[in-house]
Amino acid sequence: MVDYQLLIRSLPKLLQGALVSIQIAALSCTIGITLGIILGLVQSGKNKFLRILVGIYVTIFRGTPMLIQLTFAFFVLPEIGITLPAFWTAIVTIGLNSGAYVSQIIRSGIKSVSKGQLEAAQVLGFSKMQTTRYILLPQAIRTVVPALGNEFITLVKDSSLASTITVIELTKVGQRIQSTTFDALTIYTGVALIYLLMTSTLSFVIAKVEKRISKHVEN
Amino acid sequence: MLKIENLTKIFNDKIILDNISLQAEKGDIAVLLGPSGTGKSTLLRILNNLEKPNAGTIYFNNKKINIETVNRTHLIGMVFQQFNLFEHLTVEQNVTLVLEKVIKKNNKNAKKIALDLLKHYGLADKAQKFVSQLSGGQKQRLAIARTMAVKPKIICLDEPTSALDPLLTTHVANNIQSLADEGHIVLVATHDTSLLERLNCTIYLMGKGNITESATSVEFFKNKKAYPLIDTFVSGHIED
Repeated sequence: MVDYQLLIRSLPKLLQGALVSIQIAALSCTIGITLGIILGLVQSGKNKFLRILVGIYVTIFRGTPMLIQLTFAFFVLPEIGITLPAFWTAIVTIGLNSGAYVSQIIRSGIKSVSKGQLEAAQVLGFSKMQTTRYILLPQAIRTVVPALGNEFITLVKDSSLASTITVIELTKVGQRIQSTTFDALTIYTGVALIYLLMTSTLSFVIAKVEKRISKHVEN
Repeated sequence: MLKIENLTKIFNDKIILDNISLQAEKGDIAVLLGPSGTGKSTLLRILNNLEKPNAGTIYFNNKKINIETVNRTHLIGMVFQQFNLFEHLTVEQNVTLVLEKVIKKNNKNAKKIALDLLKHYGLADKAQKFVSQLSGGQKQRLAIARTMAVKPKIICLDEPTSALDPLLTTHVANNIQSLADEGHIVLVATHDTSLLERLNCTIYLMGKGNITESATSVEFFKNKKAYPLIDTFVSGHIED
């Protein structure tokens, strides 16, 4: 049975861990979106060499487990002189990984914008940059909000992998409490519920955003 | 005056435009008439820097135009067959975005000019609607209004009636005629012969990348037998 008293006693620590998890998710999400938009644009662009580079990047980051990427960043990079605190190693690695996925989502969004609109923009005298900023990206991102939403939810859950490289986030806090109380059921139920609370809040927000930006297709 | 000289376009070893020349004065409507695949849309696309010609020169008022930079000069505008409106924006924003970002008007001025344009094209009450909420005819009028925001002197219309209900042809023709009457040079690519009698225009019949026959609409309807090729195309389409 779940030991409610233990759960309530552990709650402040678990919530502190959850705060770190949220920080990891939010910051790696920022990296992921920024990088993903840039890579998505490059891959939809005309420069073949850059497109191939992005292709290789995406293949590597999508084709290897994030756990391995994190371990690699934590243990191997310091050997070649790149040292970051574990917290930042987790954020950067998860962010780079997410960027690969987001780039493909953005690319599909870009494909969905009719070429005619871009031609119209060109004829009207918009620069390439303006066309991207005011016509292409707003529409590309709108169409992929549901897919991006899934990616953000995945990020919240993936932040738990940071526990493997010593970051004291929600999962790690749970493991620590479990290792002194030996009550896995109670602690992991609590941990799971907190993750569920975070992801469902996010789902709720994403649904709201989706509804708001789909106004232009209403009849 | 717009003068197109010896324009040639070859695509995949296929000659789309074969050394074509034509000219139009202020207030003229030049109708490029012909079945699809005769290069009429390609000609308009070249004028708007959407395709690169293999050879040929374009002059405006006897000055050679550099097509590669023509979009920045706002000399030539284009109303597309599918209108190509910005679907994420409202009717008003479709026009104000152009005014603010391209013409660099401030927000207040842009709104005022946009509203005047929308009023002119009978869309003032639709200003806050999204593009998807407009009918085909309204979309076209918005496309024209948006084009007029940059005040081009030459306006190209690619198949202006083909995406619309045939009942709207008269309205479309009226809009095209007023563009010319306001002093623009208007180029229309179409296979819709019902437009001809509603416009005061010069008809250029296109076949295999070149002009095979030309006549003003007045001349043609006065004496159809003198223009057998145009007549065949026109009557052929009526029988359709």
